[in-house]
Parts: sequence; C-alpha cells; structure tokens
Amino acid sequence: MASTIHAQLSSTPMKFNLHHNSHSSLSWRRALAPDAVASTSSTFLTKGRGNSALITCNAQSAPSAVNLAPGTPVRPTSILVVGATGTLGRQIVRRALDEGYDVRCLVRPRPAPADFLRDWGAAVVNADLSKPETIPATLVGVHTVIDCATGRPEEPIKTVDWEGKVALIQCAKAMGVQKYIFFSIHNCEKHPEVPLMEIKYCTEKFLRSSGLNHVTIRLCGFMQGLIGQYAVPILEEKSVWGTDAPTRIAYMDTQDIARLTFIAIRNENINGKLLTFAGPRAWTTQEVITLCERLAGQDANVTTVPVSVLKFTRQLTRLFEWTSDVADRLAFSEVLSSDTVFSVPMGETYNILGVDAKDISSLEKYLQDYFANILKKLKDIKAQSKQSDIYF
Amino acid sequence: MSTATAAAALTSTIFGNQNPCNRRWMEISHSPAGNPGRRSLVTRAAASTDKEKKNQPKRKTKRPKEVLEEEKPPPAAAAAEDGEMQGVSTATSVSAIKSRLDEVNPVGLGRRSRQIFDEVWRKFSGLGTISRTARTDADEEALLLREGGPMCEFAVPGAQNTTVLVVGATSRVGRIVVRKLMLRGYTVKALVRNADKEVVDMLPTSVEIVTGDVGEPSTLQTAIEGCNKIIYCATARSTITGDLNRVDNLGVYNLIKSFQDYNNKLAQLRAGKSSKSKLLIQKFKSEDAMSGWKVREGTYFQDVIAAKYDGGMDAKFEWSTENEEAVFSGYVFNRGGYVELSKKLSLPLGSTLDRYEGLVFSVGGNGRAYVIILEAGPLADTSQSKMYFSRINTKVGFCRVRVPFSSFRAVNPEDPPLDPFLVHTLTIRFEPRRQKSVDRPIGAQDLRSFQLILEYIKALPTGQETDFILVSCTGSGIEPTRREQVLKAKKAGEDSLRRSGLGYTIIRPGPLVEEPGGQRALIFDQGNRISQGISCADVADICVKALHDSTARNKSFDVCYEYVAEPGKELYELVAHLPDKANNYLTPALSVLEKNT
Repeated sequence: MASTIHAQLSSTPMKFNLHHNSHSSLSWRRALAPDAVASTSSTFLTKGRGNSALITCNAQSAPSAVNLAPGTPVRPTSILVVGATGTLGRQIVRRALDEGYDVRCLVRPRPAPADFLRDWGAAVVNADLSKPETIPATLVGVHTVIDCATGRPEEPIKTVDWEGKVALIQCAKAMGVQKYIFFSIHNCEKHPEVPLMEIKYCTEKFLRSSGLNHVTIRLCGFMQGLIGQYAVPILEEKSVWGTDAPTRIAYMDTQDIARLTFIAIRNENINGKLLTFAGPRAWTTQEVITLCERLAGQDANVTTVPVSVLKFTRQLTRLFEWTSDVADRLAFSEVLSSDTVFSVPMGETYNILGVDAKDISSLEKYLQDYFANILKKLKDIKAQSKQSDIYF
Repeated sequence: MSTATAAAALTSTIFGNQNPCNRRWMEISHSPAGNPGRRSLVTRAAASTDKEKKNQPKRKTKRPKEVLEEEKPPPAAAAAEDGEMQGVSTATSVSAIKSRLDEVNPVGLGRRSRQIFDEVWRKFSGLGTISRTARTDADEEALLLREGGPMCEFAVPGAQNTTVLVVGATSRVGRIVVRKLMLRGYTVKALVRNADKEVVDMLPTSVEIVTGDVGEPSTLQTAIEGCNKIIYCATARSTITGDLNRVDNLGVYNLIKSFQDYNNKLAQLRAGKSSKSKLLIQKFKSEDAMSGWKVREGTYFQDVIAAKYDGGMDAKFEWSTENEEAVFSGYVFNRGGYVELSKKLSLPLGSTLDRYEGLVFSVGGNGRAYVIILEAGPLADTSQSKMYFSRINTKVGFCRVRVPFSSFRAVNPEDPPLDPFLVHTLTIRFEPRRQKSVDRPIGAQDLRSFQLILEYIKALPTGQETDFILVSCTGSGIEPTRREQVLKAKKAGEDSLRRSGLGYTIIRPGPLVEEPGGQRALIFDQGNRISQGISCADVADICVKALHDSTARNKSFDVCYEYVAEPGKELYELVAHLPDKANNYLTPALSVLEKNT
C-alpha cells in the first residue's frame, strides 16, 4: 500500500511538500501495524502504543482504555457520525435519530454552523480531522463511529481522507470504540490511479489491520447527487453537462443506504465484513439525462464534454502545483473512460441483511417523485401569483 | 450545442479569451440572467417548501428569501421589464442605454466573467467525480430541501399543521419522541420544569421550550396555547406517594383541564362552526322543551313485604315560571327505589351521535349524584335495546358535567360496548344509594330528596384522531414494595383521561430498555398479561404513529417485545415489526383491540 501511494505521488514531482507529508503518515502507520497485528487484545495494544507516543491523544487516553472494568458502561445507542453534513451523512443522522440513537456529529468549526443537525436533535461537536488533537474529546462515551466523511472538493485530498482518517481510526481504537463503520467506493482496489479511490482502499486495509471491530461498506453513486447535477438545471432551463462516457453507475437512494447501514450495524454476524451497496440498475449519464427530460416534460440543453477533454485538462492541471487538487478531482475521468460498470448483484447482501429487494427504491421512481413534487410546487406558486394579481 | 464549440468555449473561458464564440456560449450557459422569472420560480418553490417545513428554525426561513433577493434581475433588466409593462417607449430606450452602459462597465464585466467562470468550472469539474456534487455553503439550504424536503421518507401529511405538546420531553421516551416529531415536520412544544442549559442542549434547537409544571395548573395555559395534540411521557422521579400523585395523577388531570379550556375558547371564537362545537340535544328554555320527557318510578327490589315499611317516593318534572327553568325534583324514601326522567331522542337531521364523543349536561340543583342511562338498539324493535349506564356527580349550584360515551358500561356484562350510533333513549335516574354526604352546605338535608335544574344537554364533538397520548406502565419492573402506589397513581391518571371526553391513547409499555428501536417484533395486548421489556425508541415510535391513526383513538393497550407466552396466557396480538420502509404496523395491531378501554 505504501509503495503504491508513493509511486503515485512521485509521478507528480511538483507536489513535493504533500508527498513528504503523506510519506510520514505512512511510516506512522508502519509503526502502528506491528502493534496491531501482534496484540490480540486492546489492553496490550494501548500499552504498547503509549510508549511510542505517536499522537498525543493515544498517550492521554490510554489509561481510560486500559481500565475497561469499572466506570460507566458506554450505551450501545451512542454513536458518532463523521461527515454528518454530507449527502449521505445527513440521511444517516436522520435515520439514527429516528431509530432512537443518541447521535453526536463531528463537524468542522465553521462560520455558518450546521444548525439543521441540532434541529433534528443531534448533538454537534466541533473537531477537524486534519487536526488530530481535536479528535479524542469527541469520542468519549461513543459506542459506534460511522464515518461517511470525504474531503471537500476544494481542499487537498490527503489531509482529511488519509491523515485524518488514520488519526480517527487510531484514536477510536485507543479509546475503546466498539464498532467502526467505514464508507468506501466500489471498485476502489481496481483504480489506484485515482487518488481518492486509492486512499479509500488504503483506509480499508488500515482499518482491517487496526483490529477494530468494523464494517466496510462500499458505495456506487447517490441518487441525490443527480438532482443538483441534472434535474435542477433541466428545470431551470440551464445547460446540463454530461460526458459521453460509457460508464454505468448503479445509483442508490441515500435513505436506503442509511437504512441498510443500520441493519448491518445491529447484525453481529457482519462484523469485519465488506459489503457493497448498489442500486437496482446501472445507468449511463446519457440515460439519466434522457430520463430527466422525459419526466420534466422539457428538453435539456445538453452540453456533452468528451472524456478526452477531461483527461486533457487533468494532464494540464497536473503540471502546476496550484492546480494539483483540481487534477486529483478530475482523476475520475480515468475511471470514466474505462468501460466500468459500477454495480454489483445485491441478492446476497439482501439475504444477509434480511431486506426485501422491492423496498429499495429505483432511480425511475425516485426521479418521478422528485419531478412530480417540484412541478406541483411550481404550479401552486403560479396559481398563487395569479391570485395576488387581483389585489393590485 | 456541439461538442467542438463547447470545448473551444471551455478553453477560451479558462484562458480568458473573449472571442465571439465565447460570448455566444456565455449567453446560453448563463441563462438565469436571461430568464429570471423561471429561475426565481424554482427558488421560490424551494422557499415555500421551507415555510411549510416548519422544523426549520424561524431565523433560517429568511435565508432563501435573501437568496431570492440576490437573484433578482439586475436593475437595468428590471427597468427594462417595467418599461415593457407600461408600454412607454422612452423608458425602454433609456433602459437600453443603461444596459449597454452596464455591459461596458469594467467592474461589472469582471464580476460577471468571474461568475461565469466559476459556474463553468464547477460543472466541468463536477463531471470528473462520480456522484459527489460540488456545493457551496449557500447552496446547502436549498439542497437540503431538495433532498430532505419533498421526498423525505419520514414526512407525514398532517404534520405541517399539527403542533404537539410533549410533556416530559427530557425523559427517556420523550427525548426520542421530540426528535421523531422534528424529523417528521411537526411543530413541537416541550414542557420542562426548568429551562437549564443542559435541558435546552438536549432538545432540538427549534423546539419551543415552555417552562411549567404539570402539578401547577396555572403554568399550563401558555404551554397548551396553539397545541393540537399532547404526548405525555412524564413520570414521577421518585416513588414517593406525593410525587406520584403530582405527576402521574394530578398532572394528567390538570393538563386535560387546560386542554379542554383551550378547546372551548377556540370553539367560542369560531361561533359554533368549528369542529370543536357541540351538538344541541335539548335546551330547556321554555315550557315547550318539557314535552316528551317522562317521569317514571321503579325499584330494584321486588320484595313486597319490605316495601310496606318504605316511606314511598315521588318525583315531578315541571316548569318553574318564576325562575324560567326546568326542574326535576322529588324524593325517594324506598330502599332500592329510584325515579327517572327519560326521553326518546330526536336529533337534527343529518346528525348521528357516533360523530360525537359524549354528552355534556349543564345542570344545577342540590348536588346529588345521578345515573345516566342510554338505551341503544334498532329503533324498529325496542325489545332488542341494550342498556348502558354511567354515574355522574353534580355540585350544589350550577355546573357542567361531561360524560364520554366511553365511560358507559353495559348493564348486562355480556353486551358489546356502547355504539353511540344506535342510541335512541336518554334517561336521568336518581337513586338514594351512593350519595355523597359531604356536599351539604345548608344544614342537614335528607340525601334521599333531590332537585335537578336542567339547562341544556349537548353532545361533545369527536374527532378521528387521538388528542392525548399517555405513556403509562404495566407495573412490571417496578420495585415490588412501591408497585401498588405507582400503579394506583397511574391508574388514577388514566381514568381521568378516559373520563375527559378527549380522544385518548394509553400506552402501557413493559419495562423500558435503552436500545435502538425497530429491531424486534412487538406484541400488542390488553389485560396486563405481557412480561417483556421494550425499547424506548419503539414506545416513541408508537406514540408518533398513533397521532394520526384513527384506530389508536380511545384505546389502552400493553406493548412489549415478542415472547413465547406461558400456557393459558397466549391470547395476544402479535405483529411483526420489521424495519421496513413503509411499515405501518400500528393500524393492523390496534384494529383488533377493544375500543374504549
């Protein structure tokens, strides 16, 4: 793992600074790994790590983790959601609250606080994965950590997605968190050239070697993402951007993902397993746009960008250091150009979880509901504005 | 647009070339300025969802409006629109000049090109990702609505117009109830004893917190204001009798009273046209109203010999001309004797009593207790009529007495519960038995004489849904030494709710367990047979589901996790409660249970 990231990074000579950082984080991981493998119980692990003093939090929290017997037992209903403001995260939070969990959300300190989370009844704690010293306090009294965080597009991928996650997992281990749920990307092991997927894959491996009781869930694509990308521009008669890539993605409703996740969390047989959640059918970009057009009853103003242009831009942006993050983001174009299908047969997963396949919503149904709703709203508003004309 | 131009446009935009091709592209891609009406429509759609979804805090509802403000067409364009509407050609030409000036304004140009570049770049780089959408914080609110608003799986149709008062919002069940209500878009008021910081932190931010104590009726009026429904999940903190009485018994009673007062106020405001208005059965305002009422005498004992020594009885129903009131008075000196006043009901056309909750009597007199008897059955054949009775107490002077239909019991225990639809005869009976002797301010009156001044009899309006949900308990899991007292207080609270005439749901869960809900099948039962615990989250879920479930109205039931029953006790309703998407387990579970229990 170390070598692959290393190789990948050294292919971009401009990012020397970043390279150095993540290299040190990898050696950090090496220092931990023997501990994790050698020790079978968490008691020994924390002792061993306390000496090495890799991060300050470990040394501090070691006594409480060692001393497992007395004290208040952690309630199984207390969970920490990392990345709670994201598309998936907020659905996870809603679901958890509805099922009676006490939800704590790890949110970055920011000028506009995530009020909607507190509004639903979750507790919000401020911490930043890129600052490891802020993490331990948030984990006190937490039974399960659900990690659905991904760095923002505009920031360097490594800080949050790799270093931050490593710190979080180590911290969770040290503080005796009893379960760790990690969301990854489908096929991430097949695309080491895409930094985000590479990092997700490495994190999966790191989690496995950490000895934490964990479940890894790989996802394909979110239906909610399509609304902003295609549905809204079509309704607003703006141009819709699509690629001509043949890639198919089995989009899934994040509400379904959240539901299945909690079934998986409560199923003790799934511990340590890798699950992949995919929607009922895989769609290409063109198919999605056609579907939206049909449902909206109007033609989209489609701008098709060939994958080759994306690829070219990526190469171009990689040349400069200040655009390297952009290059990382565009790295998915490598995946798009291949003929990959982001989908898996879900039959077995449904069986394990005891879920009925017909309860999983399809993209047609989802978009149909969306358009029906929004078109009705638009109609209501038009009717209202007509009424108000009378008074003037 | 063709791919080639797009690509060309792209490169030119990136490198800042302002060639004609690029300009054309600008016009197409930046349509919000060209088509402001449509754009703002969509934004307003989002804004209106926001308003309807009241779980957004008030301060935030303003934000989409601000966005709307920003997205209004630039002044020049607005002026152009105005000009068109008025049809004044000069205005149009002026605005045209203005807009041309605007075009060459370097600051404006720079800002616009920056916007365009950002927009293009956002979309372009969005293509590179799989499904992550680049979004700014300003977008967040709108996106939240798109994702969580219209298609939210929790949304309940009636939630927007419903305000729920949660009493005991910080209790184990109450905490989850509040969260569930918020997720479903209800407006929630929480009654707490003191609004400390830790209490406030525990509750969602847009819950309206009202400080008050159920033991103090005066503090409840503000709490009840604007509420349609009440979920009561407060319990006494200790098992001291005083505490139990205060919270589990009097607390429920006080809250019911405040709720009824509030409902009456609403009905008055709407001048009898509200759903809270009553149906007039009989108003005794003139002598004509007396017709149809018959006085009868009777005795429970058929013992002829004993009757010889009785003092006899007499009763009359007459119009008192000096006071303008209808008086039913008399005496019963016979042991086991009674006198009664009865009438065949004739309701206004189109009204049937099943749409009503109970009866209310406005009466005066010397404060005796009476028995109200309803005869129900097919009108054609009165021999099949069944008798139902309920006892009422009056005060000295005038008072109003509510008798819910649910409080009527069949004279013959084998008869089914009262169906108000079939009621045809109303009887008010006086009997000297079981009269309270304490209520005697003026000298020593003989308890066997009575006087009842009738003002009116009305039917109380009903609803389809439950108004008051009470979380009680089955008594298992309480320390045995105090179980009696706890159950006594809870029972008293339950009884005052049943008698209140409000639509009620009484949930008696087994011992509460703190674990996530929706995992295990539940058993719904009546008759105190259950033996298992249940998770707080499941109880909260039942509370929230019962709010709009007509089968939950006027029911009391026990609920716990599924278990294998002991032989002889296996009569229960089992309902699989699996974490399904559209799982309405409550309706089928409750529809088989007895009503008015």
